Amino acid sequence: MLEIKDLRVSYGQDVVLNGIDLELESGETLAIVGESGTGKTTLGLSIMRLVEGTVRGSIRFNGKDLLLLTDSEMQQIRWSQIAMAFQNANNVLNPVYTVLDQTMEPMIEHGLKSRGEARDRAAELLRYFGFPQNRFSAYPHQLSGGEQQRVLLAMALTNDPELLILDEPLSSLDAATRAGVGNLLKEIDKHCTKLVATHDLDTASKLADRMAVLYGGKIIELGPTQEVLSRPRHPYTRALIRAYPNMTMVKDLQGIKGRMTRPASGCPFHSRCTQAIDICQTKTPQLVWNEGRQIACHRGGIITLLSTRNLTKSFGSLKAVDSVNLHIEAGETLALVGQTGSGKTTLAKTIMGLHQPNEGGVYLEDAKVDNRGKDFYKRVQMVFQNPGESLSHRLSVMEAVMEPLDIQGVGTKEERENKAIQVLGEVELPQTGDFLNKYPHHLSGGEMQRVAIARALVLDPALLIADEPTAFLDASVQAKILKLLLNLQEQRGLSMLYITHDVAAARKVSDRIAVMLDGKIIEEGLSNEIIAAPKQSYTKSLLSAASALHPTEYSSIEQ
Amino acid sequence: MLSKRNFITYAIAFVFILLLNFLLPRMMPGDPLTAIYGDEALIAMTPQLKAQLVERFALDQPLWQQFGAYFLALFQGQLGHSYYFNASVLSVILGRLPWTLLLVGTSLVLSTMLGIILGIESGWRRGSKTDRAMLAGLMSLNGFPDFFLGMLLLIAFGVTWGIFPLAGALTPYSGLSGLALLFDVLRHLFLPVAALTLAHLAGSYLLTRNTMITVLKEPYMLTARAKGLSQRVLKYRHAGRNSMLPVVTQTGIWTGRVVTGALFVELVFAYPGVGYLTYEALLARDYPIIQGVFLMVAISVLVANFLIDLSYPKLDPRVSYAY
Amino acid sequence: MHIDLKKEIKESGPGKTGLFILLLMVAMALLAPVIAPYNPYQQSTASLLPPSLSHWLGTNHVGQDIWSRLVFGARTSLLVGFGVGILSTLLGTIFGVSAALVGGFYEKVLMRIVDAFIVIPMVIVVILISAYIRPSILTLILLLSLLSWQGGARIMRAQALSLKERGNVTAAKSFGASRFYIAWRHVVPDLGPILLVDFIYGVRRAVFMEAGLAFLGISDPTVVSWGMMMRDALSFSYLNVWQWWLVPTGVALSLTIIGLTFVGHAAEPVIEPRLRGVEIA
Repeated sequence: MLEIKDLRVSYGQDVVLNGIDLELESGETLAIVGESGTGKTTLGLSIMRLVEGTVRGSIRFNGKDLLLLTDSEMQQIRWSQIAMAFQNANNVLNPVYTVLDQTMEPMIEHGLKSRGEARDRAAELLRYFGFPQNRFSAYPHQLSGGEQQRVLLAMALTNDPELLILDEPLSSLDAATRAGVGNLLKEIDKHCTKLVATHDLDTASKLADRMAVLYGGKIIELGPTQEVLSRPRHPYTRALIRAYPNMTMVKDLQGIKGRMTRPASGCPFHSRCTQAIDICQTKTPQLVWNEGRQIACHRGGIITLLSTRNLTKSFGSLKAVDSVNLHIEAGETLALVGQTGSGKTTLAKTIMGLHQPNEGGVYLEDAKVDNRGKDFYKRVQMVFQNPGESLSHRLSVMEAVMEPLDIQGVGTKEERENKAIQVLGEVELPQTGDFLNKYPHHLSGGEMQRVAIARALVLDPALLIADEPTAFLDASVQAKILKLLLNLQEQRGLSMLYITHDVAAARKVSDRIAVMLDGKIIEEGLSNEIIAAPKQSYTKSLLSAASALHPTEYSSIEQ
Repeated sequence: MLSKRNFITYAIAFVFILLLNFLLPRMMPGDPLTAIYGDEALIAMTPQLKAQLVERFALDQPLWQQFGAYFLALFQGQLGHSYYFNASVLSVILGRLPWTLLLVGTSLVLSTMLGIILGIESGWRRGSKTDRAMLAGLMSLNGFPDFFLGMLLLIAFGVTWGIFPLAGALTPYSGLSGLALLFDVLRHLFLPVAALTLAHLAGSYLLTRNTMITVLKEPYMLTARAKGLSQRVLKYRHAGRNSMLPVVTQTGIWTGRVVTGALFVELVFAYPGVGYLTYEALLARDYPIIQGVFLMVAISVLVANFLIDLSYPKLDPRVSYAY
Repeated sequence: MHIDLKKEIKESGPGKTGLFILLLMVAMALLAPVIAPYNPYQQSTASLLPPSLSHWLGTNHVGQDIWSRLVFGARTSLLVGFGVGILSTLLGTIFGVSAALVGGFYEKVLMRIVDAFIVIPMVIVVILISAYIRPSILTLILLLSLLSWQGGARIMRAQALSLKERGNVTAAKSFGASRFYIAWRHVVPDLGPILLVDFIYGVRRAVFMEAGLAFLGISDPTVVSWGMMMRDALSFSYLNVWQWWLVPTGVALSLTIIGLTFVGHAAEPVIEPRLRGVEIA
């Protein structure tokens, strides 16, 4: 019933909405999600034709293009067919009239009800939203934030609009009140179509059937809410969810590098995107259908970086790796969890080409990798368990970090040195001459592992395979290394295959977990789903055996 | 935010007025009785009367006792006796008062209301030709002193075109009654009211317009527009109502201006109100009348201001005074 | 805080017009002896003559040349206007700033008195006093100033209060500066634009009042005044003479006031953002 095509809104030179395409079915609730300044409110205001700037495109409401209507026609539609509950702010209600008067007003002015009827209906709506009866004659400046929000909501419903636009309807409420009011919103007449503009993912998840993510004036992802939230396909959506504190996700919070800009051309997210390619800078991606949802990305959404198909490696009759099907997406961390001897390290080494598989193959960006040349190692690197062993005691820090560059013959010596120094900075190690000349036996465990990580990063790989990287380190050092890995992911868009026996650690750094037992992957899925609702009994026992501070009894691991 | 004028302020003003009235004649050189009553009056008095007055006003006593006597007399409603009119000052003033009230009341209401409406319309169309024309027009109008406007109107409509009468509040000796009387009064009232109203229109206009411009930017105006309310409702019920508030606070001060303006206008039109009385008294040097008028007018203005101050909280729910 | 008042006035259409009118009036006043062909006080038997080459605006009821009187009348109006403007703004600044900087009992008492005077209609007080003592021009200037500085004082105090909280004042205090020094060096200079606007409106009020008082017949009779000219013309409204007697005089007076209004209005945006809600005129 609402169809928006190529909506462009600008205030002078500032382009706020840069081509929005949306469709709303009657009775559904769509959430427009975006951070501040992305244009959510402008979108709502444009539908009501209350925007001061230049508006182009078309907004069809029940077949009529709203942008072509005259002022008086639009005036009749406002509030009666399309209503808006504004964002709760100071002075959003007229200070010289009481709450009841202002709520009654639109019914009377549109000729829908007489004064008495209007008063009754207004009272009914105010009560519905929990606004106390004895406050009906209060003035706006006497209301608390929560009370004012309720008034705004009640006021929006007075004329039984077909389309209700809610701008941050719950943001000014505390958590407990939010639940109450949120429920009330859900219960509203099912025939009422709702458009909810919010930055809050919890609100979107509870109120909306579908969700559209707004960034840089464009919709970059649009699909069923629960699916988008659990399996985001656009790098921005994924980053947004990772940055949002909530009780569902277990991974530590991560930010998004850079700041929001509105570039004149190209994808608005490209400067912060970690899988951007050349075309992303020049051409704006369109919103297209892709596996049940719409995405605006030149690469079709988050790409699969590495996958294995039926990968098998046997040592004699022992199948160390048994028909393993795994995939790792760009910018995500997959934790491979299993006990000693489950085949984790063998799998890692097979992927790296240190073992030849007996069956199946490894695919890098959908291209099968047979012979691993320099190009492969430029994209996939590994950090080993014991830095004391993986770092040669003959090489100084500088030499060790530069080694991959030397082997690959990248740039001049000076460029390689600069790169090495830069990467040492990234892993938060000193970049002074003194340190660069040190040898591994002069360094602590944590410092050595950082050097190993720096060495792995120096070729700017896309995938980092970390095999029990903190096994030989103290707990406090381990924490720092894990945080370092998360930061590197945030800054560089690194994908990681994090191999560990420690489920508790895996939980904090991974997006997905794969459980390996006797060479097979017995369970695999989103980290929060695996942790909250493991299906396999082995997985369950792994979880209950994982480090915990409270249960005082050990549990056993079944095989 | 205007500072709240409280009771003490009015008390001080009241005392000042009384003191001024009291001290002025007594500070003049010469015989205090002459100063109070003026030369001509003294000629008409008998020595006994003079002695009586000296005693009444305690003129041979120290100053503070005199003030006591003065204040007491005032309290009893004794404003003195006018020799020019040969009647008590109070009765003379009361006789003229209704006309002035009519003139001032009508003009004040008209100029304020018209100013508000024009200000709302102007502010709503800010920057448009209509707005700029009204602004320039009213500011220019504001520059014309009320007596000049009065004279122009008199000459144009009274003398040249003869539409309206030239003087007075009623046609003398006409013996009219009922509707005809009302019409006669209105005919005589028209030009003086027009002059006063036009002269003081700009005050409320400018203030309303300025406030309107600010109000239109407020978030609740967007909310009101979203409600699909008509232009008229937006302009007046939402924006206008909020724009009126500063005007109300200023009305007290404007009352003072209109009252003094009435003085001049009555003079031009020989309108038999308190203002014209003052003029006559000034010419005849009838000090008791002058003092009586001053006292009445000054105190009325004070009271008007005070009442308006009291009523403001009823209009703006955000404000409440300590008292 | 560096708002250019001159720029504000120059860029506004009405502002420029107003300034132009004012300069015209000032020129007229200054050049009076030069452009007036007759002595404005010289009476003659040639009374109520219509305009002619020898008498540009004709003559009044006692045979005085109206044009000469008009031109000299400008002097009176502007003299009283500017005199009162300067004096009342000066007093308003002194009392307003001192109230803000000294504070305490002094401030409380002063502000009560200020508020009291604002409520009293000034014109009536002046009329009363003038009825007893016929004021000369000088006395009139003094009297009007004493009764009109209060409005400006309130504004100055408000502004001084906010200025005194600023960093440079605190710094000066820490160097041991006296209150007078602070007022003189730090507060008053920033009051510049507001002072000017208060001054302009003060001049306007005074011109208005002087004309009104002269019209009532209670101002200095030895001086030529537009108000007095209009008063004389009133008795003769029945004759044609109003065209060249009343109208030019009234227009001259009105133009002067309009000029002041326009200039004041153009300068107002300078201070409006800093003093919301305080009425100046």
